[in-house]
Amino acid sequence: MGNIYHDKKLQWLAYAVFFAAIGIVPLFVGDAFLLNQLATYGIYAMLALSISLCWGFGGILNLGQGISFGLGAYGMAMTMQMQTQTDSNPIPPFMLNNSLEHLPWFWEPFSSTAGGLIFAVAVPTFFCAVFGSIMFRARVSGVFFTIMTLAMLSAFYTIILDQQAYTGGANGLTPPASLQIGSFEIDPYSATAYWIVFALLCVATVLAKLLTQSSFGLVTQAIRDDAERVRFLGYNVAGYETAIYTISGMIAAIAGCCWVMLVQYVSPAQLDVSLSLSMVIWAAIGGRNSLLWAMIGAFLIQGGQSYLGDQFLSTWLLLLGGFFIVVVRFLPNGLASLAEAGLGWLSARLPSKSGRAIESVTAEEGA
Amino acid sequence: MDLGTLANALILGVSIASIWLVAALGLTVIYGTAGVINMAHGELIMLGAYSTYMLQVYLGVPYLICIPASFVIVALVGLLLERGLIRYLYNRPLDTLLATCGVSLVLMQSVRLIFGSDPKYISVPEIFSSNIALGSVSISTFRVIILAVTALLVFGLWFLFYKTRFGVQVRAVMQNKEMAASFGINAGRVYMLTFSLGAGLAGVAGSLFGVLAIVLPTMGASYVVQSFLMVVVGGGSLAGSVAASAATGEMQSVLASFTNATLARFIIFVLIVVFLRFRPQGLFAQGGVRR
Amino acid sequence: MSGLLEIQHLSKSFDTVQVINDFSMEVTEGTICCLVGPNGAGKTTTIDLITGRVKPTSGKILFAGNDITGQDEHVTARAGIGRKFQVPAVLRDMTVRQNLEVAYSRQTNPFTNLFTFHPSGLKQKFDEIATLAGLTHRLEEFAGNLSHGETQWLEIGMVLMQEPRLLLMDEPIAGMTEAEIEKTTSIFKDLRKSATLVVVEHDMGFVREIADVVTVMHMGSLLAQGDIAAIEADARVRDVYLGEEEEAA
Repeated sequence: MGNIYHDKKLQWLAYAVFFAAIGIVPLFVGDAFLLNQLATYGIYAMLALSISLCWGFGGILNLGQGISFGLGAYGMAMTMQMQTQTDSNPIPPFMLNNSLEHLPWFWEPFSSTAGGLIFAVAVPTFFCAVFGSIMFRARVSGVFFTIMTLAMLSAFYTIILDQQAYTGGANGLTPPASLQIGSFEIDPYSATAYWIVFALLCVATVLAKLLTQSSFGLVTQAIRDDAERVRFLGYNVAGYETAIYTISGMIAAIAGCCWVMLVQYVSPAQLDVSLSLSMVIWAAIGGRNSLLWAMIGAFLIQGGQSYLGDQFLSTWLLLLGGFFIVVVRFLPNGLASLAEAGLGWLSARLPSKSGRAIESVTAEEGA
Repeated sequence: MDLGTLANALILGVSIASIWLVAALGLTVIYGTAGVINMAHGELIMLGAYSTYMLQVYLGVPYLICIPASFVIVALVGLLLERGLIRYLYNRPLDTLLATCGVSLVLMQSVRLIFGSDPKYISVPEIFSSNIALGSVSISTFRVIILAVTALLVFGLWFLFYKTRFGVQVRAVMQNKEMAASFGINAGRVYMLTFSLGAGLAGVAGSLFGVLAIVLPTMGASYVVQSFLMVVVGGGSLAGSVAASAATGEMQSVLASFTNATLARFIIFVLIVVFLRFRPQGLFAQGGVRR
Repeated sequence: MSGLLEIQHLSKSFDTVQVINDFSMEVTEGTICCLVGPNGAGKTTTIDLITGRVKPTSGKILFAGNDITGQDEHVTARAGIGRKFQVPAVLRDMTVRQNLEVAYSRQTNPFTNLFTFHPSGLKQKFDEIATLAGLTHRLEEFAGNLSHGETQWLEIGMVLMQEPRLLLMDEPIAGMTEAEIEKTTSIFKDLRKSATLVVVEHDMGFVREIADVVTVMHMGSLLAQGDIAAIEADARVRDVYLGEEEEAA
């Protein structure tokens, strides 16, 4: 029974190796453009992490993660846009083009960098908390919740597209300068930007991993298994569901902020269904029940996509769709289950010394 | 807002409702009977539009014949889909949802590879592109055709489900699969046929929408969400979807006359969330639906 | 001594069907009350109503003097009512250990639990219950792989982990072997010292063993209540059961 895949200490070791590997990347990559692109992978990993947390551990399939990601991205873009506005020129150019004479009220908080950064994360988080608690208290769950997230995503997409004077419409927002924290400018093509994303990903992952090992994580996994039963144990299921959905949304919102920091651009495309579906596909193919494998899934798929380039995009998406169907049908826990099986095979054949070591670990946990 | 504008909005609302309903019919049948969440519904609509386009361009089939022909073609696609994939996933609603998401991706990209990303157009007889005046309201003839087709399909489905032997079998399977099986009803066959029927209905919607808007590989995406909302608000039954489409179609039309179409859509989506807070089972919940 | 659980004039109808009809009963603290009756008498629905899974049409339910009528499941559970389901409901994709740990629900606040890794008092309670349920050698097994008897024990263990004041046991011995039933009997009698039990059961032999009070339901109403001897001598009860057996035959 001692599969080393389930060994908690070795899991932490695997995470450490993973982060060490991606952390040293800037030391070997000289090309600033490539480094910037690699940094965006950290954002995909964050999104895959958020999906894995919510879906793999909470059983809540969210096809509207683009809302949190997009709102976070818009918040950051608004902050960066306002950094370039001055007292003599307080209104962003696209608003002037749409003949707005005053800065809209909801743009005001983004005039200050600190306020803007806080709101960029707080607004989507607040949305998740409100929407989640409405839905979960009504015991809307499973596929119905998924459909409602999709509906909300579509609602946000259309409203942002439509309100051109306030959101930049289909053009989106293109802040003309990099993010400035105090007097320090974060060049999106620098190793600094890479390490900021890396550090946030690292923190998010460690907290998420701790969360899954806490009593909270145990309860959410129980809810995933049988929500009805868990109510009779005295847990307020709606509260737990709202909490994990909101935490997951917050991670996606932070990812959205980082995205704009790196690419200096946001448009309704960030709220398109296809991006939110991609996040789910990353987690599903990598393995939704493993935070690490969900992130690896994001790397593999996005890596494959950019390796093949736009020329083969349709073919790639076609293959991806087919592969996704195969995974859902035959490999519900994605590539992670292959790793699990492989390590299980390996641990069964390891010399008895380490076998005893594993037994003592599990015994220790039991004690 | 004067009465004339309101009357206009209400008449236009009927048309909008019929469009939303015809888009949702196939989904209602598939979800209502088999409990399958078919995320590829939008792409089945898209296939319907492309079928019509192909029949017209390559074979010169008249438009009115293309509609039933699209039904047959997409129903066959649905049949293959059910036999090849969906039937292995009954009772796993989340997996069905995901797998059909994959199907939607595959269908969309295949069509894009075959036909390219540029828009296609379906031509209709001259008479359909005229307008009909209803008092002060002028409405395009084609929208009246959609309304008529929708009414015909709803009546046909009602007849099929409540007046035929097949309908009795379907409802028996919905109520209790095991019990139905013991009476010699082949549940697998019933699921297969209803899925195929639902797909065919999407095909009909596609050949109608292909005229209303341009034909694109991505056109399905805009229909799938609103179709699902109709089904969820309606509770999965035919009557529910009719009522939900009527209510939201009218609301869309009236709200749009105050603001604009996009804002109206946003408000309706938010209202649906609030509605589900108080009535999660939808307007007309039915026994067979697993929730 | 007043009743720990008091049900007053409870009624419940689904659409037009009256399932529970003006049903009242009282359970004294520290006793085992067996709820019996033919199929469809409304026993499980009564349990559903007490735990809040189903909301009553009218009537009142008092637990330890507090009105809990129509409260949500997690509220009644926190108030101290534990429930074992008729079809054993365990978390099938989790291990036996996780099942028991999750059932230890002293702290239910999600935010506190975010920062809890080793709930206080868990270990001691866990060892006690795992031993009692005879599952110490199966702790790392997935609950879905347990035998029927083991599943029953696991669910009883989960209810005990909750440390409830009132235990609602819906057919706890179904599918158990003679030896297991004997063990259950002794455990239930033991539990009476610290808790109160309502047991729904068909097996009259088991009822005879454990019941302090027997409540007989028929067609959603109270038919008779009393000690086992009185119930067995009751003509109405015999009619109901004999009628049932004749129909079955």
